[in-house]
Amino acid sequence: MSGHFFWSGMPVAFRPGETIAAALLRAGIADLGRPDGHLPGGRVFCGIGACQGCIVAVEDAAPIESCLTLAREGLRLGPLPALGTGHD
Amino acid sequence: MTEAPILIVGGGPAGASAAATLAEAGLPVLLVEQRDQLGGAIHRQPANGAGDHVWRPARHRRTWAALTARLRACAGMIEIRTQTVFLGVDGAGRFLFDDRRAGRVFASRPRAAIVAVGAIETIRPFPGWELPGVMTAGGAQVLLKETGRPPEGPILIAGSGPLLPALAAQLAKAGNPPVAVLERGRPWRPGTLARLALAGGPMGEAVAYAAALALGRVPYRCGALVTRAEPDGAGLAVGIRAGADERVLRVRHLLIHDGIEPNRAGIPLPAPEAAVPVLLAGDGREALGADAALLDGRRAALQLLARLGTGTAELAALESGLERARRVQAALAQALGSKPMVPAPETLICRCEGRSYADLQALADDASVREIRLMGRFGLGACQGRFCGPMIAALRGRPVPAASPPRWPLRPVSVAALARLSTDETE
Repeated sequence: MSGHFFWSGMPVAFRPGETIAAALLRAGIADLGRPDGHLPGGRVFCGIGACQGCIVAVEDAAPIESCLTLAREGLRLGPLPALGTGHD
Repeated sequence: MTEAPILIVGGGPAGASAAATLAEAGLPVLLVEQRDQLGGAIHRQPANGAGDHVWRPARHRRTWAALTARLRACAGMIEIRTQTVFLGVDGAGRFLFDDRRAGRVFASRPRAAIVAVGAIETIRPFPGWELPGVMTAGGAQVLLKETGRPPEGPILIAGSGPLLPALAAQLAKAGNPPVAVLERGRPWRPGTLARLALAGGPMGEAVAYAAALALGRVPYRCGALVTRAEPDGAGLAVGIRAGADERVLRVRHLLIHDGIEPNRAGIPLPAPEAAVPVLLAGDGREALGADAALLDGRRAALQLLARLGTGTAELAALESGLERARRVQAALAQALGSKPMVPAPETLICRCEGRSYADLQALADDASVREIRLMGRFGLGACQGRFCGPMIAALRGRPVPAASPPRWPLRPVSVAALARLSTDETE
């Protein structure tokens, strides 16, 4: 049994109990987006929530570390500035 | 009002060991863990449905099984809150947590606290370490334990320390041996090995890893290091140097690691004699590894019991165990020691704020912590200096003192979760 969440609109399969980071990496998504021209983009790095490199935006919720957070059915995720980070 | 619990932050071996010891002594415990399961990085369990195929010393499985049995036996005394991230201590002395499951922050005023938040891997920076596809060896190992599967495509492991051959052996056993392991030190000299063995180092494990590497035909090169990494299609072109020999390896994953340090950024300072005693335990106090963390968690719990007048500390056996771990680490550090290297000017030091070694050099040699932070913008980013701090300390040859007092939040927290702040029943 497995489910799907969405990365920039694209479905990504995950297995129950798997983190968002594990599912993204298995799907070959290592580059988690580029917040602006001069800062390096997001990526999974330390795997224990310390480096904050794998923070992703979540539609209608606060950004989260993908290496700590379990994947859930239907989550809509993206690179940090793309969605969910507005202060409105 | 119910009796205020002892707060334990972190559910790895140190935190779990402390929790069991306190609960067995009859004290209520609140054990907070950021992940969905206890165990820490060392005992990361496979996600549902993934088999536990990752090869590791049987000792670790046994010790964790014994510890979880103790936790179950006194489950009535221990409240475990998972998926809950420690945010720090506020000005009023409250411990703040982001309960990610409930989407709200809660504050706790414990009777005492043991903070056991583990270690951070240290990195020696090179141009390109910030790229996607570069991961810490420890992070990759955690993922391997969770998923049971190695990453696809060619893998290169580089840096220094016993984790390198251990992870390489695990990846080989899992079906994707790395193309090479580059150890910047030169540990395998007879004198060094003898000293390590005399210090009680885990030589049996070392032999098992070496055999697995030989079987997987994984080259293990000493005195070899990564000089740079660049994007190369879907992977990385990695410049490596071994003596006078320089070349480029094309890989999909570059796993780096140069040791571990206690995770202390923003963590409260130890205050064992305070009205609300705060103790540190495990790798977060002193990076001695998983076996020592079990002892250190128990030691912190016994110290607390003695302080609260509900027990007498029988610490001698624990101290000798920790001293042995200390000797092994010292022998390892001596075996692996390598000269510090000046990075190329464009090398990123602070990934969060995009600050380079040239930016660091532009600061005065005697720049204060305040200047490093406010003028250099090092340590101000999302990781709070957890990675650039040790790098700057190594490059400047002296530790960078922490901002004092530690400030919360240690992690980004949503305003909505803060707005739903709740306090525990002891307030």
